Amino acid sequence: MSSIGSTVSSISSVDLGHVQIRNPVLTASGCFGWGREYSAYYPLNKLGGVCAKAVTEQPRAGNATPRVTEVTAGMLNAIGLANPGLEVVLTEELPWLAKQDVPVWVNVAGADTGEYCRIAEAIASSGLAAALEINVSCPNVKQGGLAFGTDPKVLFELVRQVRQSAALPLYVKLSPNVTDIRPLAEAAVAAGADGLTLVNTMRGMAVDTKKRIPILSTIHGGLSGPAIKPIALSMVYQVAEVVDVPILGCGGIMSGTDAVEFIMAGAAAVQVGTGNFSDPYQAPRVAAEIEAWMNTEGVKSLDEIRGCIH
Amino acid sequence: MEMMVTQHEEIANEVFELTVCGEFPWHEIQAGQFVQVQVDRGYTHVLRRPISIAFVDTKERLLKLVYRVVGGGTAQLSQVVAGETIDLFGPLGHGYPLPKGGSKVLVIGGGLGIPPLYELSRRLLAASVSVQVILGWSHASQVFWVDRFEQLDVPLLIMTNDGSVGSAGTVVDAMATLPSAEFDQIMACGPKPMLAALQTWCRPKSISGYVSLEERMACGIGACTGCVCDTIHGLRRVCADGPVFALSEVIL
Repeated sequence: MSSIGSTVSSISSVDLGHVQIRNPVLTASGCFGWGREYSAYYPLNKLGGVCAKAVTEQPRAGNATPRVTEVTAGMLNAIGLANPGLEVVLTEELPWLAKQDVPVWVNVAGADTGEYCRIAEAIASSGLAAALEINVSCPNVKQGGLAFGTDPKVLFELVRQVRQSAALPLYVKLSPNVTDIRPLAEAAVAAGADGLTLVNTMRGMAVDTKKRIPILSTIHGGLSGPAIKPIALSMVYQVAEVVDVPILGCGGIMSGTDAVEFIMAGAAAVQVGTGNFSDPYQAPRVAAEIEAWMNTEGVKSLDEIRGCIH
Repeated sequence: MEMMVTQHEEIANEVFELTVCGEFPWHEIQAGQFVQVQVDRGYTHVLRRPISIAFVDTKERLLKLVYRVVGGGTAQLSQVVAGETIDLFGPLGHGYPLPKGGSKVLVIGGGLGIPPLYELSRRLLAASVSVQVILGWSHASQVFWVDRFEQLDVPLLIMTNDGSVGSAGTVVDAMATLPSAEFDQIMACGPKPMLAALQTWCRPKSISGYVSLEERMACGIGACTGCVCDTIHGLRRVCADGPVFALSEVIL
């Protein structure tokens, strides 16, 4: 697994321990499908990694539309973990993505601990993924999702069990909808997480003043994009002070300098999500901009600047 | 893709016609496809706006988009002037399938559903399909491109809800006056209630056809699954599986 994407002579390559990635830019879960659509725009091996859409055991249709809407400097989504289910992912989506010469993080969502464990085990057994990213944060799902991501004891137990179920590097994607993210990060790492993704979307809503109704069918949704970058950055900074595992910074990254901010705050690498919708070439462009920045600044390795603002 | 704006004018109340030229996959465009238009080079409006292609001139390498200002993004787009460039990509989605020469198609459009039907009508005529057109708007202040459709020299019915231009009534009212034998299928685009009314009217008469749908979109290419619609085969993405769907398959 660690040899995937490791013909890395790029100055922006990052060693995450379990895998070396050619540059620090991954795509964020839910914003890239299983890679097929964006692969029509560029070869996926321009990326450091792909984090695929969340998979649940059974297929999910997701929420009624409207389930996306733009807001100032961002967007709201209430997709509702729509996905074809574990079997289709294992037989169709993951095998294709695994052949695109880019490490794959499989994002896992479940209604209860058992579901997370069963999915994790199946993905690990496939041998096709570089890592797992467990989604404990989705504010759209009414069953269980919110509870896992906001209670350190519940989160510890979930991560501990998934850790035991699957012999794969395990990242936990944390929710920013909390008063203090540090206990959650500490709990996840204490339970055996190999890395953390900070952050998922923030709860938000928008109103249609003409029709006098909420715009989203679910009323509330998850806010992403540039609007949440300061929140995500602040949380990466806080968590970098209390854990030693790699942190994937995620939240409104639209440019190379945005990504550098996260790395300076302590992130090992970053994820680009909403940015892909602004420009289908956004993710590889961010990777190129990071390298250009390094060349301009005389930075030979991202290790030189990682966490440098602390 | 950066494209040069050669013309940009208001053609009805809050309705704009935008002409762009430059590099584009000119020979791959189908009527009914759309482009994802960037409306902000900053971060205030991060999502693109999906706008149907209304007219293509492959020789002159230009295309026209017609859109309505409905919010901040389209308001910002409407400020772009000729000589500036805009960033758009496409063509996206599946367009209307062109039937065989000799077929008879009834083209029905409502409001901002009308622009893509102009390019569709041109292509149908070029394929030796016989075309009749019914267009409807709410009021005279909304009406646009009647002269373009008149120049196609096909039977044309113009409706406005209040009768301020053409005949009073909806496109469905107009359709009911036509003998069904006059057409093999319908091709429509317009507000969902209009399409639903068409479907209800067509079903008992076993009239087939195609409709173009819209939903709020994010990625526009099928990756995020924000824009799904209901069909008899399950949920489908309007951007990538549509926007054109068979009338018999959509659940409106």
